[in-house]
Amino acid sequence: MSVKGTKIPPKLRLPLAGVTPAPTEEAGQVLFPTGNFRFFRPVYKDKTPPCNHACPTGEKIQKYLDFVKHERFLDGYLTIMEDNPMPSVTGRVCYHPCEGACNRKDHDEPIGIRNVERFLGDFGLELADEPIKETLPATNGKHIAVVGSGPGGLASAYHLRRLGYRVTILEALSKPGGMLRGGIPHWHLPENVLNAEVTKIEDLGGIEIKCNTRVGTDVSWQDLKDYDAAFLALGQDVGRKLPVEGNDLRGVTGGLEFVREAGFNKPVKVGKKVIVVGGGNTASDTARSALRLGAEEVTIVSLEGPDELLIVPEDLEQAKAEGVEFKTNSACARILGEDGVVTGAVLCEAHLSKDEEGKVTPRMNPDTEYEVTCDNVMIAIGQVQHLDWIPDHLIEGGLLKTDEYGRLEDNIFAGGDIVRGPAMVVDALGDGKRAASNIDKVLKTADLAPDAPVEVMPYERLNTSYFPHAPRIEAPLTPPEERIRDQEIEVTLAYTQEQAIAEADRCMSCGVCNGCDNCYIVCPDVSVMRDTRENGAYSIRTKYCKGCLVCVQECPTGCLEKVPELDFEDESDVTRMETAFSVYDGSHAEQSIPIAKLQEDAIAEYDAARRRRTGATSGNGKRR
Amino acid sequence: MTQKEVVRQHLPLFEEQGRSASVPDDVGRNLHYLPDMPEEDPYQAGHRTCAGCGPAIQYRWVLKAAGQNTVVAGPTGCMYVANATYMSTPYTVPWAHTQIASGGSFTSGMAAAYESMIRKGKYEGEYPNILVMAGDGSAADIGIGSISGALYRNHDALFICYDNECYANTGIQTSPTTPYGGSTTFTPPGKVIPEGKKLPPKNLAKMMSEGHPNCYVATTTVGYTLDLMNKTRKGLNHRGAAFLHCYTPCQKGWVYQTPMTVELGRRVVESGLFPVWEYDPAERKYEYFIPPEQRPVVDYLAMQGRFGHMHPEHVALMQVAANRNWEDMGADVPKRLRELEDPEAHKHLKEEEYSLPVNRGIGA
Repeated sequence: MSVKGTKIPPKLRLPLAGVTPAPTEEAGQVLFPTGNFRFFRPVYKDKTPPCNHACPTGEKIQKYLDFVKHERFLDGYLTIMEDNPMPSVTGRVCYHPCEGACNRKDHDEPIGIRNVERFLGDFGLELADEPIKETLPATNGKHIAVVGSGPGGLASAYHLRRLGYRVTILEALSKPGGMLRGGIPHWHLPENVLNAEVTKIEDLGGIEIKCNTRVGTDVSWQDLKDYDAAFLALGQDVGRKLPVEGNDLRGVTGGLEFVREAGFNKPVKVGKKVIVVGGGNTASDTARSALRLGAEEVTIVSLEGPDELLIVPEDLEQAKAEGVEFKTNSACARILGEDGVVTGAVLCEAHLSKDEEGKVTPRMNPDTEYEVTCDNVMIAIGQVQHLDWIPDHLIEGGLLKTDEYGRLEDNIFAGGDIVRGPAMVVDALGDGKRAASNIDKVLKTADLAPDAPVEVMPYERLNTSYFPHAPRIEAPLTPPEERIRDQEIEVTLAYTQEQAIAEADRCMSCGVCNGCDNCYIVCPDVSVMRDTRENGAYSIRTKYCKGCLVCVQECPTGCLEKVPELDFEDESDVTRMETAFSVYDGSHAEQSIPIAKLQEDAIAEYDAARRRRTGATSGNGKRR
Repeated sequence: MTQKEVVRQHLPLFEEQGRSASVPDDVGRNLHYLPDMPEEDPYQAGHRTCAGCGPAIQYRWVLKAAGQNTVVAGPTGCMYVANATYMSTPYTVPWAHTQIASGGSFTSGMAAAYESMIRKGKYEGEYPNILVMAGDGSAADIGIGSISGALYRNHDALFICYDNECYANTGIQTSPTTPYGGSTTFTPPGKVIPEGKKLPPKNLAKMMSEGHPNCYVATTTVGYTLDLMNKTRKGLNHRGAAFLHCYTPCQKGWVYQTPMTVELGRRVVESGLFPVWEYDPAERKYEYFIPPEQRPVVDYLAMQGRFGHMHPEHVALMQVAANRNWEDMGADVPKRLRELEDPEAHKHLKEEEYSLPVNRGIGA
């Protein structure tokens, strides 16, 4: 019985009062370990959140959202930089597969991950010194060539540098950036942001970017083999031609070429009426750039139907708001011209049909042909790359053929669009990261191995009682009538700090402990111990945990799991069940000995005191 | 003789909305994600309650909220028996056992004694938090007289009824708060009385607030941590008697999966069977908590074995009672809940398919 805090006068003290030890916060009731009630034990096992899993670079999205929530922006920025060197770029242009995978979409709306990433990226760019610089190792003497300074090339160079390699990037054009500069318009990704991100990587030291160096003409395949290793990320920057009559008239351009000229700030001329042929993101970018550069009427002609367009939904919505017209299920049959200059085009109804092998072919209906007038026709129906300098056996269908680790042959790896066909910026970034780690393994003569399988946390296993519904904070947009005036006006604007924090706060931290203290507070047996508020820093006091699993049930994120007690063998924290109810053996008997000892000691002490006081030889009349 | 002033404690309330909102690190976010949560636990590990015990969770939260300068009394009940065997208790604060009927009188004696000892200068220090935590058998049945007397005399103490809706200590006998249809060893369902318990439960908290209008009275459940802890602190801060009625599931008596203790604490509120409210004695007004989600009663009933025998007409009667509760609370009763008042809308409860909470396994 605890007597702490009360004052018992000596004359009232009885031998047994207050002799049993009071519990302490560190040790609980030492005589009564209730851990032998337990069949199951709660164990912290972090899973992979779906956002992290969906990101080709494997960004630890849940982790940096947690940092942003706690206003630890630098930690958040450094977390991104472990996987992705250019968050300011991806924060603007990424097609965010993470948001598509976000479990919150089943709850209310997905989290605006891209906008938070942009917030952190811009935070990083504003720092006076790049914090990554201090963490870099010295170069180890090995020298790697990277072909192409697009997202894949820059990412591989960054990751290789962090592993200690010296890197030379060979870039064919006059400025680095690849598709980021030549394929993404300024109103999507401002030039100064791209320049800052490239400079950030270049300034790390040990990375050299050689512009105006075209592989195949200035550098040969054999030259590449002289490096310790090479990574090919050339991308696909040659627009495919439209195989129709009139495609060589003046006024017919490739959409990609048009966007690139604009991206390199070269003077481009656009007529009043423009037709863009194609149904993908390049078509949308081309059309919207044309609007900003003087066109008054822009029409996208696509084989795809209105619901089949390959344009990401938000871009499609923005394009429509800006006044881009769509002629879906249509094709351009001929381009008309006078004196070698475009004057119009013949369009017809068409659709895409799948044959038995799943190959998609256009089917045109010549009976529905009609004429339209226009000043320009821009073709955005896909891209290719010149690969005549690479040995033939490495090429298949216009793309490079790699193994499952991205290896072309020996120490030469490849990635990005040149391997995948047109894909996302973030795919290239992911390929660059993977190539860097695989090149590192090859140069250290380690075996390449596939990634270990991960367990992705589904929505159904979250405890959603703890997540009140909250709407997504949409990033503000520049109004359409204002943003089409100039190609330098950014369309999507940034979150404020408050918005970034509030949006990060919506994260449900799927499958990963975020230290919410729920397990700590619901435990009836004070057996979830909390040392510091860091992920996974709770421990289970196995001496007392009864295995009720309330903590497992109430864990909002689902990172707590039950594990059968018999799976554990460490004797220091196992109290087996079979001894719990046996009075004469096992823990009850063990417990009764110290209790009896405590009583005997107390009686002996009482007797001794009484003897001193009275001179009696025996305390309580009994012979001892 | 000059009298000394009785200095009382004032416990700050927790920010309920701050639960997941951003709190900067420099105000202790590193240590306390739950805002301002005290580190200390005056109710410690090693007690012999069952795994997943609802009252144990409630004891821990109440004593965490009350802090170390607290004196506790516990009338006979399961939480006395399970906590105080072999001459040892899990409390790091002074604690005393009382007879089952005398929780109120014992506690009022403690409160009066502390007050007078402080006035006479025989006890130094602030007036402690004086608490009694009585089971529903003690607070609503055998000892209701003494608790009512203590509330009436307005002693400065907090009287808590942890309500597990049965006499659990002696092996699950019916108590006045056992719900309609609850199966206990005294109300077994059979051919003559198929619903088990025929009587509706006693509305204990309303009795206390209506009958002792100067007391702070509130109800809460183990489903809402900060609500329970804040109401404890409000009751302790209230100058005079306060009464807290707390719903605490009993795994052995109700026959549910041990991990569901806290979930039941939420579902009972969401199904409208246990209104959570606060009575303000100054304004003489009730403030009701309307949960964000309103559920059919089957979602709650079907989680527990003690209701497994219920027939459609019994479930419908429970839904009627729940809808009356919603009306009393001033909440809208959705049409789908109205339709469930019809016995035709239900099946025998053991065949009922219902929306289970996320199931992460059966414990203990």
